[in-house]
Amino acid sequence: MKWDEFFVTGEPMIYGAMVSIVLVSIAILVGLTYFKKWGYLWREWLTTVDHKRIGVMYILSALIMLFRGGVDALLMRTQLAVPESGFLDSQHYNEIFTTHGVIMILFMAMPFVIGLMNVVVPLQIGARDVAFPRLNAVSFWLFFAGAMLFNISFVIGGSPDAGWSAYFPLASLEFSPTVGNNFYSLALQISGIGTLMTGVNFIVTILKMRAPGMKLMRMPMFTWSVLITNVIILFAFPVLTVALALMMFDRIFGSQFFTMANGGMDMLWANLFWVWGHPEVYIVILPAFGIFSDIISTFSKKNLYGYKSMVFSMVIISLLSFLVWAHHFYTMGAGAMVNGFFSITTMLIAVPTGVKIFNWLFTLRKGKISFTSPMLYAMAFIPIFTFGGVTGVMLAMASADYQYHNTMFLVAHFHYVLIPGTVFGVLAGLHYWFPKLFGFRLNEARAKLAFWLIVVGFNVAFMPLFFLGLQGMTRRMYTYSADTGFGPLNFIATIGAFVLAIGFVVLCYNFYYSFRHSPRDEHGDPWDARTLEWSTPSPVPVYNFAKVPHVESQDAFWHSKKHNAPLYKEGPYEEIHMPNNSGQPFILGVIMFFAGFFLVFSWFTPAIIAGVGVVIMLALRSFERDHGYHISAKEIAATEQKLRGDSV
Amino acid sequence: MKINDALPLEYRTEENSNKIFGFWLFLGAEIVLFSTLFAVYLTLWNRTGSGPTGKELFEINGVIWETVLLLTSSFTCGLGIHAMRLGMKKPMMIFFGITLLLGLGFLGIEITEFVNYVHEGATLQTSAFLSSLFVLLGTHGLHVTMGFLWGTGILIQIKRQGFTDETANKSFIFSLYWHFLDVVWIFIFSFVYLKGLM
Amino acid sequence: MARLFPIRHVMGYIFSLVLSFVALGVIYWDLTFTAAMVILIICAAIQASLQLVLFMHIGETSSKKTLYLNIAYAVFVGLVTVFGTLFTMIWGFR
Repeated sequence: MKWDEFFVTGEPMIYGAMVSIVLVSIAILVGLTYFKKWGYLWREWLTTVDHKRIGVMYILSALIMLFRGGVDALLMRTQLAVPESGFLDSQHYNEIFTTHGVIMILFMAMPFVIGLMNVVVPLQIGARDVAFPRLNAVSFWLFFAGAMLFNISFVIGGSPDAGWSAYFPLASLEFSPTVGNNFYSLALQISGIGTLMTGVNFIVTILKMRAPGMKLMRMPMFTWSVLITNVIILFAFPVLTVALALMMFDRIFGSQFFTMANGGMDMLWANLFWVWGHPEVYIVILPAFGIFSDIISTFSKKNLYGYKSMVFSMVIISLLSFLVWAHHFYTMGAGAMVNGFFSITTMLIAVPTGVKIFNWLFTLRKGKISFTSPMLYAMAFIPIFTFGGVTGVMLAMASADYQYHNTMFLVAHFHYVLIPGTVFGVLAGLHYWFPKLFGFRLNEARAKLAFWLIVVGFNVAFMPLFFLGLQGMTRRMYTYSADTGFGPLNFIATIGAFVLAIGFVVLCYNFYYSFRHSPRDEHGDPWDARTLEWSTPSPVPVYNFAKVPHVESQDAFWHSKKHNAPLYKEGPYEEIHMPNNSGQPFILGVIMFFAGFFLVFSWFTPAIIAGVGVVIMLALRSFERDHGYHISAKEIAATEQKLRGDSV
Repeated sequence: MKINDALPLEYRTEENSNKIFGFWLFLGAEIVLFSTLFAVYLTLWNRTGSGPTGKELFEINGVIWETVLLLTSSFTCGLGIHAMRLGMKKPMMIFFGITLLLGLGFLGIEITEFVNYVHEGATLQTSAFLSSLFVLLGTHGLHVTMGFLWGTGILIQIKRQGFTDETANKSFIFSLYWHFLDVVWIFIFSFVYLKGLM
Repeated sequence: MARLFPIRHVMGYIFSLVLSFVALGVIYWDLTFTAAMVILIICAAIQASLQLVLFMHIGETSSKKTLYLNIAYAVFVGLVTVFGTLFTMIWGFR
């Protein structure tokens, strides 16, 4: 391979990106050396097994990926703003919509959701950490290795360009001869394995590590949603693992799964992809439902209406989510039986979702509502998401779908569920739990400004797409002629996209502003909230709970505040057993990154060496004898004294 | 650390019983993984292109031997855990050793079979049927290989440390994995080979 | 020596060998496709349960309900994947 094939060449924008990547990397390296932070970075972050820190790293990565995916979106909208624009060529446009989709779903929504799970779930159930802290670090570093591998395709080798769903035969070696889709299969594979381990870890955590008295039906709704989500992860991700492996075999080892000759079946890829892909939609939406439930209940000063029906509807959703996948390819040519069956299941799944909407509305009814920034996101979520959901029911009807399929109507629909659902959800969660992590609230005025820019920008950006879709504009077309009449609505949508982007800039600026100016939170419960995480001091000490809480009802902390029933039994502190930090997960992530990278380019000898490296890492872990360490009672007393004053 | 003496050694600490529970969940994921591979195989099994069909390719004798070896290894693995619960180190190590050797024998036959297929011109690249066959069998074979390495590591640790909370826990989890691979093989035996030769 | 070979394990082993050889019959006996598949499915299902219950001791702890639920869910998703794929890609395809 020649060097000009190895690096992406010939695009001024990519040269600019290369230069800025190099400059930023140098700046980081110099900065770390100058401020002598290498040791701090290694000891406190790269080797950490603390669920709160891992959560912060997930969220930070998600924000960086949000920036990358957001820039992709702006480039696309700029290209489409006017007819026959020459801003991007078709190939570049194909690469950008592909990376936008993959990054936003797998490297932004997923880590953001998993990051919040990591931060919040152990605290909500009164646990000291997740069940397997070391495995948790492995999950993170595998995700991170996958994300980096995917992003590096931008400057080395070329990005994938067959859409985020990478349908065959387009994604086959024959029609996509660059290494782009090799990056797709390997990067997603590596981070997917990490996600699967997260699934195992959190199910065990939630089922086995709850504080005494916290029965399943006393768990906060966010914890419930995370439990159900991880059940879906556990059973859906293996399908992706197989699908991606088959893609890799087709592209790198010349097998015939999805080819056009020798018996291959191209649509089998689409089938497998969506067997995973539809449950995936619920994986990113259910935790958002949980976040909104907690937030709406907290800021209405009421317990959640219809707790049991909330849980029941999520269980139903988790089962039904495995029965609807073929609605993504009604137009494939399947018979009436297939399309009819999947039409009905798809419409059915709207029912439990509708139940949840009514529960939120009844929670609000007669509540003492305070419109804080997290609550604003929740309030915007309900109507916008309902709108998105209803257009989903329209798409569910197979015969009507022949009209909507692959038009901008579909694009508008899934942005109308994913943005108010997942994105508003994680942003609401971020604003809500931010003081728990860092000990100060985000500035409300700036947070609300960002909120309004985001909500208005979002609607201006995506509402026109419904109409464009009905007028016949298909998705993924890189340009259109003026005769089509698509121009004006597209221009409005582009304006909306930029307003949305400004909203995100304000939101990020608010981190800096609040860090400088926000008053520090003293008592750990800034929102007068209801669940256990708020009974700890902020920021939370490494061991989470000095004493294990005893739970007597739902909304345990609220109950203890109202009835003056202490959560923590009287008595001296006891020594706490903690896991040791370890560099192994990080090193494993680095090796996996290189194994993936070598395979992308079919450099088999180095890939095998890296594979052996992975096996050696597993063996090292097996033979390691690490029993953690203990925090003494005296040390705990001192820490608690410092954090809480002398209230405990 | 909570310790419950009423339970077998491998369950005794809370952490270790969580590990067993977590591994069961992982096996749930493995069930879906192999189901997907079966879904692919059963969709593509008669799409042989210009290559050979299963009926032309499969040799029942080797398959019967593979089945007997793996069933026996699953049996000795269970006996190993039983011996461990009786606290008998040497029998346990012998049973585990036999298990691993039988696993190695299985792999030997499988590799020979693969080599024969390739000599007959049936490779991964020949047809969709063969691609799905090789990947399904290969995934199972890779699991057995990993199990062999893992089991060897555990045997070394038992030899050095005897039965501790940790080594007992690892051995038990390994046994779950090994029995599971036997279950997967039963399905391969029935729905790949026997169905193919029918 | 005898206590190293508990009767449950020995019976389980013999039974699984017998089931394998019964299943083997489908290639020698003259059966319809449906009958042969029924035999294969029944034998495989019994064998899998044998391994789960006798060798893997699925029912020995207090979390056995969750463990059974886990296996049931996995089998549900597995069956949906296998038969759903066949339904969508072959049987229901025009």
